[in-house]
Amino acid sequence: MENNLDSAFHALADPTRRAVIGRLMDGPAPVTELARPFEIGLPTFLKHLRVLEQGGWIRSEKRGRVRTCHVRPERLHAAERWLAEQRAIWDARTDRLADYVETHLAAEDRR
Amino acid sequence: MTASQADLRISRLINAPPAAVWRAWAEREHFEKWWIPQPIECRSVKHDLRPGGGFETQMRDGGGPWKPHVEGCFLAVVPQRELVFTTMLSEGWRPSEPWLGLTAIITLADEQGATRYSARVLHRTPEEARKHADMGFEEGWGTAIGQLGAIAPALA
Repeated sequence: MENNLDSAFHALADPTRRAVIGRLMDGPAPVTELARPFEIGLPTFLKHLRVLEQGGWIRSEKRGRVRTCHVRPERLHAAERWLAEQRAIWDARTDRLADYVETHLAAEDRR
Repeated sequence: MTASQADLRISRLINAPPAAVWRAWAEREHFEKWWIPQPIECRSVKHDLRPGGGFETQMRDGGGPWKPHVEGCFLAVVPQRELVFTTMLSEGWRPSEPWLGLTAIITLADEQGATRYSARVLHRTPEEARKHADMGFEEGWGTAIGQLGAIAPALA
């Protein structure tokens, strides 16, 4: 894992790439299966995979005509880190809700 | 890691009555405004607030194609008090294979005109998720497993 942090984070800056990591967390998958949920062309999708490989998030291997992708567990090793990330997501979501309600809905409901 | 260690608890005092907070959840045009962080756009596809009712959101970035975000179903709905949904089932309680299995229990309580908003988010344990995972995982993999995936949709 020689990759620097910049390329690692760049890899995560895109929702398609994050979704790919999410899918691969459930197990390895062939490229064609990975690409299926996305409404983008295969060449574009392959570019995303390349960015993920360069960022150290996934690796792939070709057997016959099928290229299979795996997530690289060393990038995602700690359950604690995973949970911390989930917490950050829900914390931010709850902050947005509070902010939205206080800004847009509080006044009219308090009449 | 046990099941309870994979739970999250979030609590906020929101300076508005429960009726207002409930509207932010129940009315799609409001819900879409806060569920996903901007500038990502959120689209509410299913928002059927009753037990077994479908719950689905999609997201898109920079006017691009809509992509999956959350898909599940509501389990309990008590207006202005409680909302429970899970991604382990889809509309009509049909079993599903989510990228991230979770159940979220949202409660609202009046505190002198403000709302105590609490969310408890339950996840599968990594050990449990590993049982369902495909072959080919390396040693030491088990700790993170399937659900980091969640980061994918939810960070968006």
